[in-house]
Amino acid sequence: MPFNTPREPRPRPRWLDAIFPYPSQSVIVNGRLMAYVDVGPRDGRPVLLLSGNPTWAFLYRDFFGPLSAAGYRAIAPDWVGAGYSDHPRIDAQLTFAHHIADLVGLLDALDLRGFVIVGQDWGGPQGVGAALQRVERLAGLVLMSTWLFTGYVGRFHSSPRPWTTWHAPLIGAFFMKRLQVLSQHGPSAISKRGMSEVEARAYHHVFDEPESDAVVLTWPRTIPMREGDRGWADMRAIEQRLPELRDVPTILFWGRQDSVFGEPYANRLKELLPHAEGPIAFDNADHFMQDDRGPDIAAAVVEFLDRRLGPAV
Amino acid sequence: MPLQFVMPSDEELALLRADPLLWEQELDVRPEVAAAIEKAAGRRSGRVYWRSAHDHLYALELADLGRGRPSMAMVYGFWDRYEPRPPEHEITADLLDLSLWVAEVAEGIDPADVARVATFALGRERPTWPEGSVLRTPDERFADLPGYPYPPRYVEIEGLRMAYIETGAGDPILCLHGEPTWGYLYRRMIPALAAVGRVVVPDLIGFGRSDKPVAPNAYSYRAHVRWVRRFIEALDLRRITLVCQDWGGLIGLRVLAQQPERFARLVAMNTAFPAGEAPSEAFLRWRRFSQQARWLDLPGMMRQAVRRSLADAETAAYGAPFPDARYQTGALVFPRLVPIRPEHPGAYDNRQAIATLRTLELPVLLPWGDSDPITSQGEAQLRGIFRNVAPPFPVRGAGHFIQEDRGEEVAEGIVRWLRG
Repeated sequence: MPFNTPREPRPRPRWLDAIFPYPSQSVIVNGRLMAYVDVGPRDGRPVLLLSGNPTWAFLYRDFFGPLSAAGYRAIAPDWVGAGYSDHPRIDAQLTFAHHIADLVGLLDALDLRGFVIVGQDWGGPQGVGAALQRVERLAGLVLMSTWLFTGYVGRFHSSPRPWTTWHAPLIGAFFMKRLQVLSQHGPSAISKRGMSEVEARAYHHVFDEPESDAVVLTWPRTIPMREGDRGWADMRAIEQRLPELRDVPTILFWGRQDSVFGEPYANRLKELLPHAEGPIAFDNADHFMQDDRGPDIAAAVVEFLDRRLGPAV
Repeated sequence: MPLQFVMPSDEELALLRADPLLWEQELDVRPEVAAAIEKAAGRRSGRVYWRSAHDHLYALELADLGRGRPSMAMVYGFWDRYEPRPPEHEITADLLDLSLWVAEVAEGIDPADVARVATFALGRERPTWPEGSVLRTPDERFADLPGYPYPPRYVEIEGLRMAYIETGAGDPILCLHGEPTWGYLYRRMIPALAAVGRVVVPDLIGFGRSDKPVAPNAYSYRAHVRWVRRFIEALDLRRITLVCQDWGGLIGLRVLAQQPERFARLVAMNTAFPAGEAPSEAFLRWRRFSQQARWLDLPGMMRQAVRRSLADAETAAYGAPFPDARYQTGALVFPRLVPIRPEHPGAYDNRQAIATLRTLELPVLLPWGDSDPITSQGEAQLRGIFRNVAPPFPVRGAGHFIQEDRGEEVAEGIVRWLRG
């Protein structure tokens, strides 16, 4: 079959249905399949639920019910390289710019207007990067455990255990590709509420196929720490355009136990987006705060959207 | 066909996204092929770039790996950095051209065999628009157009039917419309112009009677420029007087910079040639409105925008090309293609084009409606670019659609200038 022909995402294992009853649909963007979960009324305001490394739409499982019940159309895409999307094996096909262009392709394919970006981890910069390409159609912004800037590197990304060790050439490939520290031991390792085994499998099984986890290493390598790093120019381009979002209702969340993007990141976002509500702290929440405190954060998102935008576009 | 190797600037490359399309770990599985590529590309390692028949930039990256010949290869396409890449059939066609080039430079591979296998794999000789990806407005929607009796003519451009009308004889007077109109906009000017030349009025792809691709990524600034250039080549127009307004100027001036030898004169009206400057507030309002709209009510919009009063049949003619919203992709996309930031797609190309336009001696006339907040800065900009500009030709009380507001008067002014 030609690579760009519309097709179904690959089938899911039956055990997943019990904890994640939302089917994936797909579009072809930039020649690759992008899977997404799409729950709620067609004409409701689109709310894009964007995950990061190494997760997928499953991270937002507690959000689909409350958002759709409140009249919103909850759309959670899996980034190309992750989840039920295609998993290219070549780093150069998984750049920051590719991810942004892929999401723009989804926004165009679904013809979304008045959409809201909810972004965590890479879902923040990649989501905002895509929204800036269709900025008149962006209606709201929810950011949690993420960043949109260069010039500040927190403890996690500057310390040798684990970050700079993972990040190092060859050593990183050994840990990520051979020992699969993130793709098979990521979200479960820092769960604050104690993740069940089947939940951990739900995150990790998408990388079971050999050589399918290139994105898990490409993403860390793209985090810009110094000028000239591979993600630097793209992150700067986003940061410099943030003033264009001054009229977009925005709210910031962070987790008190966040080991990756904690309070200093939330405060820096507030400096760059001074009109934003928050930052609002959640207890018992680490980096995957949608998993640690899913129902509570979903309720906070619905409250914010109802108050500032409403489900009608 | 030989590849047209080019050397893009670092500035251009920084605005693009390199997308790996083909990779070959065993380029020297046949050493004589690797050697032939080395000879044709002029290098054993590093990159060579070329522009394809679709004006897309590609690179072939070679690595030596100590074997004394190129032994690994990667082919990249370069797209606007954050935008979805162009339609897949364009990329497939460009990669087929690359394959044919490899066969041509290498001994022992017959390009005809490559072409035959491609025909088998594609089910046709060249890749084209997939079934259902292009709409064609039914002819009956264009019946009885008031003031526009010219029978449509058609030419095929890259698998799309591009419509135009022509009337009169002599050197061509090419009239380019813009957003969100079609050739009908020129009907008040055509009779006077046809007295002094062969008036050719095409409908841009996505507009009027021309075909309308459905997917937004089919429409880019570069694609519109290419389609109009191919239209001019298909009709082999020479000694052209280019008459343009709105996007007709943005597109036409790029074609002028690419093929200046085909053009004799320029008449630009209520347009601009943006290369990343901050736009007017009026344009930003229009951009915001259009990007949030699902449907442009063109009869209503034209009734509002045109300062003269239009008959219902005239406003209806502006809605004729668009039976429903699926037909309007081109019109809905246009406003966001205007390069309003230095890194915006098209801004770099326009900066390059301006450098060429500054060198041209062709006579330029700038009839300008003085009641158009959208293009109020355009006249001064063009006056600063071109060397040989006629004295100001302000058209008092005319708005953005100067062809509607004061078409006859403007056409007479153009004729006087052409004769003078």
